[in-house]
Amino acid sequence: MVDEKKLREKAKEVLARDDVRRLIGWKRGTYGYESAPVVIKDASEAEELIFDPTCVQNPASFITLEEKPPVPRGQEPDTRKVAVMVKGCDSRAVVQQLVEKAYPRDGVIVLGVPCTGVVDRRKAQKMFGDTSEPVLIKEEGDKFVFTIDGETKEGPRAELLADKCVRCRFPNPLVYDELVADEVAVWGADEFTDVDEFEKKSPEEKWKFWEEQFSKCIRCYSCRNVCPMCYCLECVVTKQRPQWTRRSTDVSENTAYHIQRAWHLSGRCIECGECERVCPVDIPIMTLNRKMTRDVKEMFSFEPGIDVEAEPLLSCYNPQDPEEYIM
Amino acid sequence: MSEEFEPNIVAFLCNWCSYAGADLAGTSRMHYLPNIKIIRVMCSGRVNPLFLVNALQQGADGVLISGCHPGDCHYLEGNFYARRRFMLMRKLLEHVGVDPGRVNMSWVSASEGAKFKEVIDETVAKAKEAGPMEQFRRRQLNW
Amino acid sequence: MGDYKFAKDKLAEVVGALKDYEVFAPTAVGDVLRFKQVEDASGVSLDYKNTNVPPKELMFPETETLFKFRVGQTEIEPAVPDESSKRLVFGIRPCDAMAYTIVEKLYSWDYPDPYFEGRRSSSVLFGLACSEPVPNCFCTSMGGGPGSEQGLDALMFDLGETVYVKTLTDAGEEAAKAMGLEAAGDAEKKAAAAQEKEAQGKIKRTLDTEGIPEKLPSLYDHPFWEEFSDRCLSCGICTFLCPTCHCFDIQDETEVFNGRRARMWDTCMFPEYSLHTSGHNPRPTRKERTRNRISHKYSYFPEKFDVIACVGCGRCINYCPVNIDILDILEKSKKAEAKEAKTA
Repeated sequence: MVDEKKLREKAKEVLARDDVRRLIGWKRGTYGYESAPVVIKDASEAEELIFDPTCVQNPASFITLEEKPPVPRGQEPDTRKVAVMVKGCDSRAVVQQLVEKAYPRDGVIVLGVPCTGVVDRRKAQKMFGDTSEPVLIKEEGDKFVFTIDGETKEGPRAELLADKCVRCRFPNPLVYDELVADEVAVWGADEFTDVDEFEKKSPEEKWKFWEEQFSKCIRCYSCRNVCPMCYCLECVVTKQRPQWTRRSTDVSENTAYHIQRAWHLSGRCIECGECERVCPVDIPIMTLNRKMTRDVKEMFSFEPGIDVEAEPLLSCYNPQDPEEYIM
Repeated sequence: MSEEFEPNIVAFLCNWCSYAGADLAGTSRMHYLPNIKIIRVMCSGRVNPLFLVNALQQGADGVLISGCHPGDCHYLEGNFYARRRFMLMRKLLEHVGVDPGRVNMSWVSASEGAKFKEVIDETVAKAKEAGPMEQFRRRQLNW
Repeated sequence: MGDYKFAKDKLAEVVGALKDYEVFAPTAVGDVLRFKQVEDASGVSLDYKNTNVPPKELMFPETETLFKFRVGQTEIEPAVPDESSKRLVFGIRPCDAMAYTIVEKLYSWDYPDPYFEGRRSSSVLFGLACSEPVPNCFCTSMGGGPGSEQGLDALMFDLGETVYVKTLTDAGEEAAKAMGLEAAGDAEKKAAAAQEKEAQGKIKRTLDTEGIPEKLPSLYDHPFWEEFSDRCLSCGICTFLCPTCHCFDIQDETEVFNGRRARMWDTCMFPEYSLHTSGHNPRPTRKERTRNRISHKYSYFPEKFDVIACVGCGRCINYCPVNIDILDILEKSKKAEAKEAKTA
């Protein structure tokens, strides 16, 4: 269990250092089952930090989201470090970003937070209804205890955990400078049964499914923007000269967009599940990404976000790579 | 005249091996099917898998990427990278419901004119079996 | 105008009687609700909170052809919607209908937009008053309310077994007659008024907008924006799901011999929105863009059109992935001291 006091103390310590510019963590949301990612710049703001089962967002996305505009003449850019609090799944994003050299290892200070799972807001809303007051959630054994509008309610952990947490194999951060709590035991395993289930469909059924899903897409690009691995300065989808994917929202362009994104994430997606959570029209994006994750594991024995020394999947090759269908 | 469907295939051929192999098929007067439209690239490793998606969007019924044999790439490693990429892209398209027969890859060297003809025959046959590409084709093609 | 009613279990019949109209109602695909054309009247239900995507997509579709062109032709083929076709939007919430009155101000401002006008003028809005506001609704603070009549042709109140319908315009009367509704009495009117009052009381989140439009420009350089912009993802959710956001991009899409000019929703949250051809971008970071969006809706738009470009539907709060809460921003803007603002 994470002691929030200790978490805040650690944060204050880190922020008090001369060479740290900002710290990314979580704070209480303004309503319901929300928490909000927060970027604090001063140790006095550390009291806002929390860690509880509402903290579903991935702070690693915010390391690369930060823009670096040119500084006025005579000023030097601020090259101090960024501190970030990460759960186990989030730390895989940091590992993969380091593998791809998005930033140098000494440019970040990683505060690892061992996690025992987050609550899926939709499941909580269905069980307990919605509220405009912030909800407090605590974990107690195999239950989650909610304080909603002053009342205490309980729900079984198994029914409220986010899907990604049910199969979590990395509750403890894989890269960290300091841990803010003790490591926890691994409880999950991933056999990719959901991918196997989907593959049982016929090609016509598969396309029918995806056509319906992709025709809902409004191309808000939340899935791309929240993804810790989507940090290209100019994304191919929004490139205008030349234009690859048109901006119109018909099935053809929407399908092309999702295929492009899943393709660019193959061997890189660390399965934080944020893309699917943020989608306003409920497109099951993880279904595509998990298929690629499974295939990459099977074909190339590679899992992203685990080993900082690994080489990115598509930047290397093995002369014995499979080539089953090649004539 | 039979109304048999004639697929449109876009073929990305690497300059040093496959394109030369296609050239050889031509100069040897081997008749190969006219369904393919060839785009010459310097190396199969240059082919971005998104070209494939774009081609399918624009109405191609099948795509072929052809390069030098592994180990013989003119640029030493390009085809190894291409192999990894297209293995994955094919799986992804299959997951979306696109017939895998639309995505084809081959190793054709500069002396393999006859093999090139066979590769085209097989590619066209697979695309014919898969039928016209309707799934995520741009609908506004014939306004 | 008129007061009517119908039994709720006759809903499918009532909607089915609208044979001369293209009827649009909230339709579910999984958990997602959107306004779609009704194929089967028995699928229509009054049992929902609000749609994910607002009904602005009925007046202003996400992608719309402006005109087509073809090699060899000397004239373009405009694709202006037919104003004579009759459409009826069934079950639109008062906030979304009020949003049309706000967006109309812009679309009929200096150049009347025939595409928007064509759809809007041929649409009859049959509203559904709210009995159970969603937790983040704040329509009462924006000049609307659960029973607001702005922009509507008729307003329905779901009273349990009966639905009371109040027609507000001639078009609403015509539709009510087509639906074959019977006259309502005082009992229904009283119940509707009581429901509206109760719903107003259920709205928990309020904001006093007094002074906000004047204050925001003075906070241009204030650091309080960073609290929100630091976690903004620059995605388009708040703008695409906002019933009053109305920006669009125009693109030409061509094949070899023909093409179309189309417009599609655009969002000021994307960096490309303000990217100049020279490569310069006046809003390069999220701070500029978040500040711009809030200032536009709550200061620049009211300055021009005398109404805040927000109806309090709460979708931006409900769907923002990082809990950027507009009420939170506005409360903090009221407390922020303009003199703390640094001059750049």
